[in-house]
Amino acid sequence: MHHFVRQPALDDHPLTRLDARVKLLSALALLLMVISCRGIVFPLLVAGICGGICLSLGVRPRVLALRFAEPLFIAGMVLVLKLFFTGTEPLFSFSLAGWEVVGHRDGLMEGVRIASRIAGAVTVVAAIGFATPFTDLMAALAWLRVPKGFIEVALFAWRYLFLLLDDAQVVYAAQKNRLGYACYRRGLRSFGTLAGALVIKAFDNSQNITTAMVQRGYDGTMPLMKHRPFHVGEVAVALLVVVGMGFVWSL
Amino acid sequence: MQKILPIMLLFLTTPAHAMHISEGILPFSWAALWFAVAVPFVALGIKRLNDLAKDDLSFKPLVGLMAAVVFIISCMPVPVPTAGTCSHPCGTGIAAILVGPFVSVVITAVALLIQALFLAHGGLSTWGADIVSMGVVGSFAGWFTFRALRAMGASLGVAGFAAGLLADWATYATTSLVLAAGIRGDSPFLPLAGKIVLAFIPTQLPLGLLEGAMTAGMVMLLQRKRPELLVRMRVITEKELTAHA
Repeated sequence: MHHFVRQPALDDHPLTRLDARVKLLSALALLLMVISCRGIVFPLLVAGICGGICLSLGVRPRVLALRFAEPLFIAGMVLVLKLFFTGTEPLFSFSLAGWEVVGHRDGLMEGVRIASRIAGAVTVVAAIGFATPFTDLMAALAWLRVPKGFIEVALFAWRYLFLLLDDAQVVYAAQKNRLGYACYRRGLRSFGTLAGALVIKAFDNSQNITTAMVQRGYDGTMPLMKHRPFHVGEVAVALLVVVGMGFVWSL
Repeated sequence: MQKILPIMLLFLTTPAHAMHISEGILPFSWAALWFAVAVPFVALGIKRLNDLAKDDLSFKPLVGLMAAVVFIISCMPVPVPTAGTCSHPCGTGIAAILVGPFVSVVITAVALLIQALFLAHGGLSTWGADIVSMGVVGSFAGWFTFRALRAMGASLGVAGFAAGLLADWATYATTSLVLAAGIRGDSPFLPLAGKIVLAFIPTQLPLGLLEGAMTAGMVMLLQRKRPELLVRMRVITEKELTAHA
């Protein structure tokens, strides 16, 4: 999982340097266009552009393929589901073990439309995820008036996620070395113990963190990152891109 | 054949993170509706979080760390022998038992946001739908089951098992309905929903049992090793702790 989450983007890439608020708002605008689009060309165009952005950010193709594997598998399943179980206009049929299977033209079109929407939306979010540090995204959400309590919890979760993940890997390796997953029943017990140990660590760490933070002046609220003023050039370029894509969307 | 094809499709199942509705799968109208449903629960969860954090400064860090635990648990592949594949537990049952259902919704929302942004599990456009199925329905199903069984005198293990089991199954039932409503187009809702439920059954039926066993294991481990934590989170009373000791 580290492999996925810690994939670095190029620091000197123009998209990495762009204000997180501008990136977030542009990505949300694109996402809205993709999910409200009734055609297949626009989402696929967005998928192509954002996939290219991910590659230009220095993301390895293997990481990109792994990231997209699950949503694309789901897209394929939806396509099959729509092809065979919805629609009225027969496109083809074949016999399988004495049963007649019918694929429908309208079902296929609907399935392709949903699959292209998934491809477009996933690449938009992947591009912003690769190009923006989590803390910058949270600061951008705070600027969008997302409640501070939510942002603070998200920042705590992000800060200690890797710590707990390392702990989980150590416990898992120790259990595995002691044949904790040798049979199904034992594996289940080991898994329960692992999850329980994580909860205990979460409790203990929260106490230690609070003590350390109180010593540094924590009073129940965390200071959030201050934003620099918007750069007119950044905003203008982002607006141009969004309006341009909006024009393509409307065609 | 059209009826048994969903069952055949199941055997194509990969290590699926099917608990989450994938990015872009819902059209705008459905995505917006599920956001509207999720927002009041998240808002109430944040209010409850802020109220509790006023009395206990360590509560926000604890909730953050619980979100990290839920994130890790819901990324752990668990082998499902009947389907010959892997799936993953949701972890919201245990979160709801420990911190209550409303704060558990916030925990789930945070875990889902991180997964959507950095793992492509779920998505930003389906965040609302995922919060409703996994956070709201999963948390409340788990919490009510646990509390009801404890009120009837069930042991921590039995109540934990039932809470984990029902939280998982309720999440999947909701996911199926949300998915069917979102992708049905002009097709009738119920037959498609039935097929999606059918497609989830071989993986999720045993996974629910696994999640139940895992939740029971976690609660019993806490009772054995750190019972004072269960008292602090009001899962058991001081009296029960003394009786257990």
